[in-house]
Amino acid sequence: MQLSTSFLAQVTPVEPSPVQAALTQLFPADNFVLLGVILALPLIGAFVNGVFGKRLGREAVTLMALSAVGLSFVASLVAFFMVSSARVGDELVRFQWTAWEWFRLSTAGDFSQTPLNVAFSLDALSAVMILVITGIGSLIHLYSSKYMEEDPGYYRFFTYLNLFIFSMLVLVLGDSLPILFVGWEGVGLCSYLLIGFWFDKSENASAGKKAFITNRIGDFGLLVAMGLLLYFVGALDWSGIESNKEALLAPVKLWPIGNEVPLARILPEDAGKWLNQPRYVSGATLVGLFLFLGCAGKSAQIPLYVWLPDAMAGPTPVSALIHAATMVTAGVYLMCRMAGVFVLSPTAMFVVALVGGFTALFAATIALVQNDIKKVLAYSTVSQLGYMFLGVGVGAFVAGFFHVLTHAFFKACLFLGAGSVIHAMHARIHDTDQSQDMRYMGGLRKFMPVTFLTFAAAWAAIVGFPLTSGFFSKDEILLKANTSFVAGTSVAQGDFTWPAWGHWVLWGLGAAAAILTAFYMTRLFIGIFFGEFRGWTIVRGYQAAVHGHADAGHGGHDDHADEHGHAHEQPGPDMQGPTPHESPWQMTLPLVVLGILSLAGGFLSAHLFHVHPLDDFLGPVFGDAVQRVKLIKGHETRTIPLVAFAVVAFLVGSLVAYWIYLQAKGEPARKLAAQFPRLHSLLIDKWRVDELYEETIIGAVDSLADMCVWFDKWVVDGILARLTTAIISLSGTALRQLQTGRLQTYAAAMVVGLAGVGWFLLTPRAAAHTSADHSSGRYEITAAPGFGYGYRWDSDGDGQWDAEDFGEQRTIAFSLQTEETRTIRLEVRNAFGRTAEREFTFSRPKPDKSGYVAAATGVGAENLKNAHEGVGMKQ
Amino acid sequence: MSPAARAFFEAAPYVAAFVIGALIPRRSSVLERLAVGIVGALSVLALKGLWPDAAAPVTEKADEWPHLLNVVVFMPFVGAIALLFLPRQSPKFLQRFTLTVLGLNFFVSLFLLGATMTRGWHFQYITEWIPSLGIRYHVAIDGVSLWMVLLTTFTTPIAAYVAFGSVRKRIKDLCFAFLLLHGAMLGAFVALDLFLFFVFWELMLIPMLLMIGVWGGLERIKAAYKFFLYTMIGSMMMLAAILYVVWTHYELAGYLTFDYLALSKVTLPRTAAWLCYAGFSLAFLIKVPVFPFHTWLPDAHVQAPTGGSIILAAVLLKLGTYGYIRFCMGMFAGPAAHAATTLAGLVIAMGIFYGALVAWKQDDVKRLVAYSSVAHMGFVMLGVFAATQSGVEGALLQMINHGVSSGALFLLVGVIYDRRHTRMVREFGGLAKVMPVYAAVFILITMSSIGVPGTNGFVGEFMVIMGTFASNHLGAFSHLHGGLAAAGVILAAVYMLSVVQKMFFGPLTNEKNANLSDMNVRESVAMAPLIALVFLIGFFPSLFLNRMSDSVTATLDRYIEGRIAWSQGAGAEGASLRERRGGPLETGYPLPPSSTRAVAAMDGKEAH
Repeated sequence: MQLSTSFLAQVTPVEPSPVQAALTQLFPADNFVLLGVILALPLIGAFVNGVFGKRLGREAVTLMALSAVGLSFVASLVAFFMVSSARVGDELVRFQWTAWEWFRLSTAGDFSQTPLNVAFSLDALSAVMILVITGIGSLIHLYSSKYMEEDPGYYRFFTYLNLFIFSMLVLVLGDSLPILFVGWEGVGLCSYLLIGFWFDKSENASAGKKAFITNRIGDFGLLVAMGLLLYFVGALDWSGIESNKEALLAPVKLWPIGNEVPLARILPEDAGKWLNQPRYVSGATLVGLFLFLGCAGKSAQIPLYVWLPDAMAGPTPVSALIHAATMVTAGVYLMCRMAGVFVLSPTAMFVVALVGGFTALFAATIALVQNDIKKVLAYSTVSQLGYMFLGVGVGAFVAGFFHVLTHAFFKACLFLGAGSVIHAMHARIHDTDQSQDMRYMGGLRKFMPVTFLTFAAAWAAIVGFPLTSGFFSKDEILLKANTSFVAGTSVAQGDFTWPAWGHWVLWGLGAAAAILTAFYMTRLFIGIFFGEFRGWTIVRGYQAAVHGHADAGHGGHDDHADEHGHAHEQPGPDMQGPTPHESPWQMTLPLVVLGILSLAGGFLSAHLFHVHPLDDFLGPVFGDAVQRVKLIKGHETRTIPLVAFAVVAFLVGSLVAYWIYLQAKGEPARKLAAQFPRLHSLLIDKWRVDELYEETIIGAVDSLADMCVWFDKWVVDGILARLTTAIISLSGTALRQLQTGRLQTYAAAMVVGLAGVGWFLLTPRAAAHTSADHSSGRYEITAAPGFGYGYRWDSDGDGQWDAEDFGEQRTIAFSLQTEETRTIRLEVRNAFGRTAEREFTFSRPKPDKSGYVAAATGVGAENLKNAHEGVGMKQ
Repeated sequence: MSPAARAFFEAAPYVAAFVIGALIPRRSSVLERLAVGIVGALSVLALKGLWPDAAAPVTEKADEWPHLLNVVVFMPFVGAIALLFLPRQSPKFLQRFTLTVLGLNFFVSLFLLGATMTRGWHFQYITEWIPSLGIRYHVAIDGVSLWMVLLTTFTTPIAAYVAFGSVRKRIKDLCFAFLLLHGAMLGAFVALDLFLFFVFWELMLIPMLLMIGVWGGLERIKAAYKFFLYTMIGSMMMLAAILYVVWTHYELAGYLTFDYLALSKVTLPRTAAWLCYAGFSLAFLIKVPVFPFHTWLPDAHVQAPTGGSIILAAVLLKLGTYGYIRFCMGMFAGPAAHAATTLAGLVIAMGIFYGALVAWKQDDVKRLVAYSSVAHMGFVMLGVFAATQSGVEGALLQMINHGVSSGALFLLVGVIYDRRHTRMVREFGGLAKVMPVYAAVFILITMSSIGVPGTNGFVGEFMVIMGTFASNHLGAFSHLHGGLAAAGVILAAVYMLSVVQKMFFGPLTNEKNANLSDMNVRESVAMAPLIALVFLIGFFPSLFLNRMSDSVTATLDRYIEGRIAWSQGAGAEGASLRERRGGPLETGYPLPPSSTRAVAAMDGKEAH
């Protein structure tokens, strides 16, 4: 809240204070080195902790990591205020800092080179983002310093965490797509390392690998989008794309790739025609869809969402920071950043909105039945990310981005709260899965008041309790889904217009998801904090020492099962344990801050009360893009019913959950599950999408790889190496028979050879050398000489020999008219009376008027002459 | 500022880098601290020394010492001969001697960076060798071969240093082979006379054959034969093509020469051009290797000792791509341009995809890395076929990158092989617990190999992919090819991360791995410069690209010119000789034996 009021004040230009003046002088807009400071601090932290961390000790590592992120946050605050105070009117403020030239890229056709700099820029959008990243990042660093306290990989954890902050800042601050991509893959790498942080369990490492590879599929989309942008727009930096983006409206031939499909020739005519028919799509659609593939990978949208639930294998603070608050929203950030490109294509936008809406509902259905509290939160994250894409997809960029903010607050709070609960459960339950299972929780409200209250605040926000942050952001998205659409452009071919039913479908998906969200979050909330505690029987003065697990902190490892000998005990009433306790202040302070933000953050953009500082602040960023976003007729009348519906959705969802899980102790849910066992198990198994992928795509690639290996071994190596070897050794065996050393064999070979030579000499050959001069029409044939040869000719082509006898004449010359053709016959007789005959056909072509052949010949000859002369001259 | 203060500020970055570097190793080995510190200081030196300085005037060739290349190329040969007179009984001394020669060679080769890499030939040195056949000793470098020479002088000392750690028998022979191989590779990169090039090209084969056949694994003889025969077949085709071109030139110009500058002026008749192009490209594509000629590579790698594998991957394969750029594109632009789209499709489908898929299924880590080479070299060749500025620059950079990261991977595989005498993935698992430094370094190099931004691999791949998108030469297929190549990065992640997971993560299942020692001093010292280069190229590729761009432009200009001439019918009416243009690209053009020297003086002044 403090943030919002302070930049409210800054929106109206005021007299710059001396501090501001000094800052502006120190960091001019075109050389904004402050960005370098913001970026360098976490990088230094990562380097120091990574290389020296093991020797530095726990305190020094904590100091390094926390101060790096904390100072980066302070610098971000300064930068944020500089952006907000530099604003005059509706102009876009963009501070830039170019570090060095990275490399140059060829533009279309290789006619020019566009330099690609390691450059960063800060505008309103990224200013808000860096505050979130470093702010929430600092809180989570603080939280982790306690949560990870006893982990042997403490320094490694903070190295990765600092590296993540650095990568995320690069992603947000990068001034061009490739620099963004550096951060994009960098956060993916950190995510990989952190998911597999406890790598001695195979499934953690597998989850990390899965995340990385799924993200790579998205990165492929981003790479292609960059290639296409470079080709059509000729630039990859924000201002370059912005100024030339209209070039993307040009139609691109998608099919056939060459001039025609080779297959079409052998097909029936109609089918061939259909196959060969050129198909066009606008460049913007192509770029938009490929960019969205990248976003879907990073932000866990259908069909690439499968990695995010598995990513919960990482330590809980990681889930809060990376897999809820920051990294997974990078896709939404990219959509906002490229808003100008996306709105050029109604197709791409509709796909984004539809996928977003569908993901929101789909993930929510899975979350309904999960018992692992982190899994519930993970699917909830996927679902909320779907909302964000629904928002930006319908062109409500600010609303979508606003949900990024509020989601960062409440979801980070929920995850950290869950971490705090898991931490408490670890007092007695050390198995990862069991310590996160809500069936063993309950009633924790009494033992963990701070966690309970903050969790309640975040719960209120996510279910859309009126006036909390989530209420405003979700409401705004649903409102826009129902009323706004992206207008087509008249330029692009094959233009797509949003269907009239589109609004109701998009809104319907979002609204249904909203009811489900209220339901499953209430279920989770009740499951953890209300009812009786089900983990173990609480015994006062319980001696933890028996289990070699001292009370304070107990490690906070999510994953400690095999290091302690007592994981075999089943949790439940039979097990005894101490009173669950509240977490230390390092863990509760972040909870409190985030809880307050979850409640109050909504007033950053509360359109219902006409308070929208965020919209004003971000306005210039989307100023151009929103021109193409239109509202349907009569949208004003829909506002109140839709808001009313949002409240109803919240009430229905949470009251039903309240009734089922608190009033009826979960009995109706069990009955329902027993009634539809297949649907229930399908939901428990997450619709078996992982299995589907395993059977189809992964299976196909796997067998393809097996085929390749077989092919490589037996075909390639078989033919090139083995077959060649076999042929050579066989011919060696055959030829060896000739080298026997027996005189008789050699004599026999000699006889055969002599006979061959004799036969050759006896055979007459009617070979001849001809010369033709088409221009004068004179032709000449000279027969080859031979031992005792006589010749006779048919020179006039009448089929009769000129003379019946064989003579000595070897050469005949004759001339032809234009376009005349004549066949000359020659017969040769040798000394032994054997004859041979041959025909020669001559024709004199018409002088070529097109001049091509003659000209080509002439040039060729001249070239040749020139070449000779050129060389001669130099001599 | 006083001179002392200035000197202090000049020296401060180096000292700081040295100190930070020296602090990095955890154990107290002076050698390791010193080496890592020096690598740190050298990185700063590279950064400051290569940084484009706008204020500095473009100096002409005045400060190029013409014998520098001779020194670089012949130092290993002289060393090899000197080695023959040293006692076999003191292997330590022989090893030190070899390392000194190689290290000195690297140091001397750094002076090549002193020249401003403008268009044309640098450090050119020409002298008659066999005048009766027009064969000359003609060496020079341009921006393309400069980096190949430096890559060679940089990698061989590391490879030799690693090899000396694990090889115990026939040390003298090994040293001799290393020096001979080193000299031959350098010679092949700088030779501009085709006869000279062929001599070096063939000379290279023998030490490598010995390295595989003598110090290799169980099936070493078979692998050595396979390596030798594959390469030899290509070489013979190339020799035939060389002779044909030389003869044609003789017919046209009236004098014999084997010089590249002169022979690249010959336009052959169509069929002959295709055949000669095929002869040359067969030799180079086998070396790269491109499908279906790649099967010698996994066998050779698996059997070769670690040092040999490093050289094979880092340098020998590059001779194929270098040769293609220099000779195929330089002399047969028409056929090369016409084959480019098809060949680009081939290297994508059968290099990038097929190589990656086969790599994924390998049980032997070394075989896996060998197949990954096929995939990486596919990227390099794609950049070459795309023939755009950034495509070719990316390909050249990717050649250096592949040298660094594959060399490092082979080194790392050697580390585990030395300890366990097996390279089977299933033998390992959970190694990160017992060998944390090794695991960290392996993962870092993996990231470089799969092209994570910030490391060297990304820049090369990215430039190649973007260059493919922009390509004119690939016609309507450029977008498809670019997109498919981009999809190749997914598979790279699949096979590399799978092997990382199987080797390093999960529980430590195999008892035999429980007490493995982490990387020793020798291995760490050998890795340090490679790691430094990973980041240096990843963050500052311009340092390298700036010095090659002019030469790449020149190469592409000639290529495009040849392609246009071909499509306008050059060679359709028999052989011809293109006109000379003069300019820096033709300094050192061979003259007929009777000509006066006056013309030679004219060459440099002619405008391009």
